[in-house]
Amino acid sequence: MRGPRTPIGARASVAALLLSFALVSSVTSVAAPLPLPSASPVHGGTLTVGISYDIDTLNVYVTAALGDIEAAVVEGLVAPDEHAHYVPVLATEVPTLANGGIELTHQGKAMRVTYHLRPGVLWQDGVPLTSADVKFTWEAVKDPHFLAESKDGCEGVESIDTPDAATAVVNYRSVSPAFASTLFTFGILPRHLLAGKDLNHDPYNDKPLGTGPFMVSEFRRGQYVVLDRNPLYWGRDAAGRPLPYLDRIIFNVIPNSNTLGTLIRAGEILFAPRIPVMLAKQLRGTAGIDLVTGPSLGWSYLDFGMKQVPALRDPAVRRAIAEAINRAALVKAAGNYPQPIHSTVLPVFETLYDPEPDAAVPDYDPAAANAALDLAGYPRGPDGIRVREGRPLELGITTQSGDIDGEIAEQILIAELKAIGIAAYADNKSGIAYRQARYKGAFDLQYGRITTAADPVYSMFYGTHGPLNGRGYTSAAMDAALARMETSLVPEERRAAGAEMQRVFARDLPSLPLLSYVSIAAKTRRLQGYVTNPTNMTDFVGVAHWWLSPRGTAP
Amino acid sequence: MSQAWLLRRLLGVVPLLLAISVLLFTIVHLAPGGPTDVYADNPSVTPQALAEIRIAYGLDQPLPVQYLRWASAMARGVWGYSIRTGRPVTTEIAERLPASLLLGGTALALSALLALPIGILSAALRRTAVDRVLTLVSFAGISVPVFWLALMLQLLFSIHWTLLPAAGYETIGDTGVLDHLRHLAMPAAVLSLATIANWSRFLRGSLVDALQQDYVRTAYAKGHGTAGVIVHHALRNALLPVVTIISLDLASLISGAIITETVFAWPGIGRLFVESMDARDYPVLMGLMMLGSLALVLANLCADLVYTLIDPRIRYE
Repeated sequence: MRGPRTPIGARASVAALLLSFALVSSVTSVAAPLPLPSASPVHGGTLTVGISYDIDTLNVYVTAALGDIEAAVVEGLVAPDEHAHYVPVLATEVPTLANGGIELTHQGKAMRVTYHLRPGVLWQDGVPLTSADVKFTWEAVKDPHFLAESKDGCEGVESIDTPDAATAVVNYRSVSPAFASTLFTFGILPRHLLAGKDLNHDPYNDKPLGTGPFMVSEFRRGQYVVLDRNPLYWGRDAAGRPLPYLDRIIFNVIPNSNTLGTLIRAGEILFAPRIPVMLAKQLRGTAGIDLVTGPSLGWSYLDFGMKQVPALRDPAVRRAIAEAINRAALVKAAGNYPQPIHSTVLPVFETLYDPEPDAAVPDYDPAAANAALDLAGYPRGPDGIRVREGRPLELGITTQSGDIDGEIAEQILIAELKAIGIAAYADNKSGIAYRQARYKGAFDLQYGRITTAADPVYSMFYGTHGPLNGRGYTSAAMDAALARMETSLVPEERRAAGAEMQRVFARDLPSLPLLSYVSIAAKTRRLQGYVTNPTNMTDFVGVAHWWLSPRGTAP
Repeated sequence: MSQAWLLRRLLGVVPLLLAISVLLFTIVHLAPGGPTDVYADNPSVTPQALAEIRIAYGLDQPLPVQYLRWASAMARGVWGYSIRTGRPVTTEIAERLPASLLLGGTALALSALLALPIGILSAALRRTAVDRVLTLVSFAGISVPVFWLALMLQLLFSIHWTLLPAAGYETIGDTGVLDHLRHLAMPAAVLSLATIANWSRFLRGSLVDALQQDYVRTAYAKGHGTAGVIVHHALRNALLPVVTIISLDLASLISGAIITETVFAWPGIGRLFVESMDARDYPVLMGLMMLGSLALVLANLCADLVYTLIDPRIRYE
C-alpha cells in the first residue's frame, strides 16, 4: 500500500495490452492557462518539492508511503504513462500477444511473458543491468523473510528463465492479466549489490541504487531527501540530449498543509504533488503558482460495515443511505474539483464501464430514503432519530484523522444522514488503527478514497475473500463475475463480466461510490515539461523530462 | 544533603522506572492494531508469512513474555530495532534528539531569561498599570493556540517580510550557526511563549505571597530598598514552587513538542513519536517513552537538589 489512499491490491492490474481506454490527461491550470514551454528545455536547476508524509524507507518494496522519490531513482521494466498506458522503460517493448511477448501455455491456462532489456542501461554505480537482476528481484521480494509492504505479482510467477543477459522469460502459473503493473513495474533490484544480503536491514533501504534519472545523495529522516542527476542515465530527449534536465531535486517533508502553503507562497517549495483541495482553494490566484489538475484513477466511497452493524445487512437500509447522499454538496465542498460517480468502475475505464442505469447506484432522493426506512421498520423517535426495538439508529463514520478533505466530507455526510433520521457521528482513526478498522471491518460506515493502478483488480475490494473487503460483503454472483473478468485476456468477455459485476454491485450496494477525484499539484510557473500521472505510480515517473526555465523567463 | 540520600534516591529510580515500563508496555499494546497490520491489505503476504513476521519480532509470544524479553534486553542496553524502518531504535532516537534538545533547550532558556524578570517586575509593581499590562500579555500567551500563533508568525516573517525561513531545521548545505538560528527563531518563540507566560504568572503569585510575610516587613524596617528586599529576602523563598514547575517542563526537552514540530517541519522527537504511534512501532515507542520517563524522574531529582541550594533549611538525610 502506498499511503492511505492506495491499497496494495489496487496496484494489481490488467495487462497493458488490454488498456485500450483513452484517458484524457487534461492538464490544466486553475490560476491561469498552463503556459506552453517558451523555449526548448534547458539543463540545470534545483527543484524543491514538498511532500506531506514522512519517509520511513526508500526501498520501493518496503515503503508504506507513496513512491514519489523511488520513482525518480528506481525503474521498472514498464511503467504507466500520463494516459495510463503502459510504455517500455527498461524493456524495449511492452509484451503483448500481438508482438509475441506473451505466449499462452498449458493449453491456454498459463502464460509466458518475455522481456527484452534495453541495451546499454547501467546501474548508478556503472554496473550493467542484466536479466539476472530481473530474476533476482522476483527471488528477493518473494523471500518470506523479507518484510515487504508489497509483494504483488510474486506468487503468480512459477519461474524465470534468463537465456541471455538481455532476455528475461517469466513463466506464470496461470493467465495473469495483472502482470503489467505489479512486480516488474515497481522497480528492479540490483543483484550485484543485494545478493545474499538481509534486505530488511540493508543500507540500500536508505540509499537505493537504481537505473533511474536521479540518485539519492542524502536522506535525513524527518527532514529531506536530496536527489542528484544520474550522469549514467540512459534516457535521451527527442533531440538526442541526455536526460534528466534537472540537476537536483530536494524532497522536503512538510507534515502540515498550512505550512506547505506558506512555503509555496514564499517560493521555498517549487512543486507539491497531490495537495489537499483545501490548500488548492487557498492557493488559487497566487502569483507565479500554477495549480495543475489532472485525472486520477481515484474515487471516494462510503463503505457499509455489515460485519459490525446488523442494520446495514439490510439492503433497504443501505439503499436508503445511498439515497440520502447529495453528491453535489460533496463536490462543492471539494472546490468543484471532483465529479460525481454512480458506479464503482470509473467512467475512464472504458473497456469495463457500463453506462446502463441498472449498473448505477441510486442517486440523491431523500423522500425515497425516508420512505424506505419507514418501510424497513425504523420509525422516527420523538427527537427525529429513527429507532428500532427501542434503540436509536446511530452510526459512526470512520475516516482518516487529519485528512482535511475527508473530514469535511464526513461532516456533510453526517448532516445528510441526520436529515433522514440517522444519528451519525465522526469516529475517526489514524495510522494502523485506521487501516485495521478499514480492512477488518471495525467500522459502522467508512469514508475513504482509493487511487488505483491503471486497471484495478476489483476482487480485492468486493470479492468474498478480497483483502480489502473489510465490510463483510459476500456474494456468489459477484465472485463469479469478478473471476470471469479477471482471468480472461479477451476484451469482449471482460466487458460482459464487468457489466455483470456492476449490476450485482448496484443491486447489493456493498459500498457507495461517491466522487471521482482529480489530482491537484501546485507548481512554480518555471517548472516545464511536467505532466500528471493518473495512476498510483506518481507523477515522478516522468521526472526525467521536467525542466526549470531560468528565473525571469517563465511566461 | 547526604551521599546516602542521593544514593537512595538514585536506587529508587530503578523500581520506579520498572513500574512505569510495565504500565507503558501494557497501554501501548492495548491500543487497537499492531505493527503487522500494515500487511493486512496485502494478499501476497500469506498467513504463514505473517506468522513468520510475528515470530521475528516476538509478537507471537504472550504479553508478559514479550515484556520480559524487552525489559531484559533494555537492561543490557539493547533497545531493539524499529519495526517500521528496520533500523536500531537508538539510531532512530539519536537522529531526532539533537533537534528536540536544540528547540526545547532554546525555548527553556528564553523562558527563563524572560519569565523571571517579568514575574519579578509584575510582583514588585503589583496592581499598577505595568502589572495589568503584563498580566494581560501573560494570559494572552497562555491562551493563544500554538498552531495559530505559528501560522501568524510564518505569514509575517516568511511571506510579508521574508526575514525567516517558514519551516525546516536547516538549509541544505549550510551548516552555519546563523542559518540554524534563523530556522530556530520562530519555533523557539512559539514554544517559549506559553512557558514564559506560565512561569512568570507562577513567580508573580509566589513572590506576592512572599512579599506579604513578616520577614519582608522586617527587612523593609531595617532600611532595605524594594530591590534589595526582593533579591535578598523574598525571591529565594518564592522560587521554590517555580523550580518545581521548571523541572517538570525540563522533561519536555526529551519528549518533544508535537504541534510546534509539525507546523515548522522540525525533525524532533515529537514527530517521531506520532509516526511510531501511527505504525504501532512498539520498540521505538517504548524507547521514546522510557527516555521521557527517565528525563522526568531525573528532572524531579534535580529539582530536589536545587531546593537545597536555594533554601539552606532544606536538608535531606
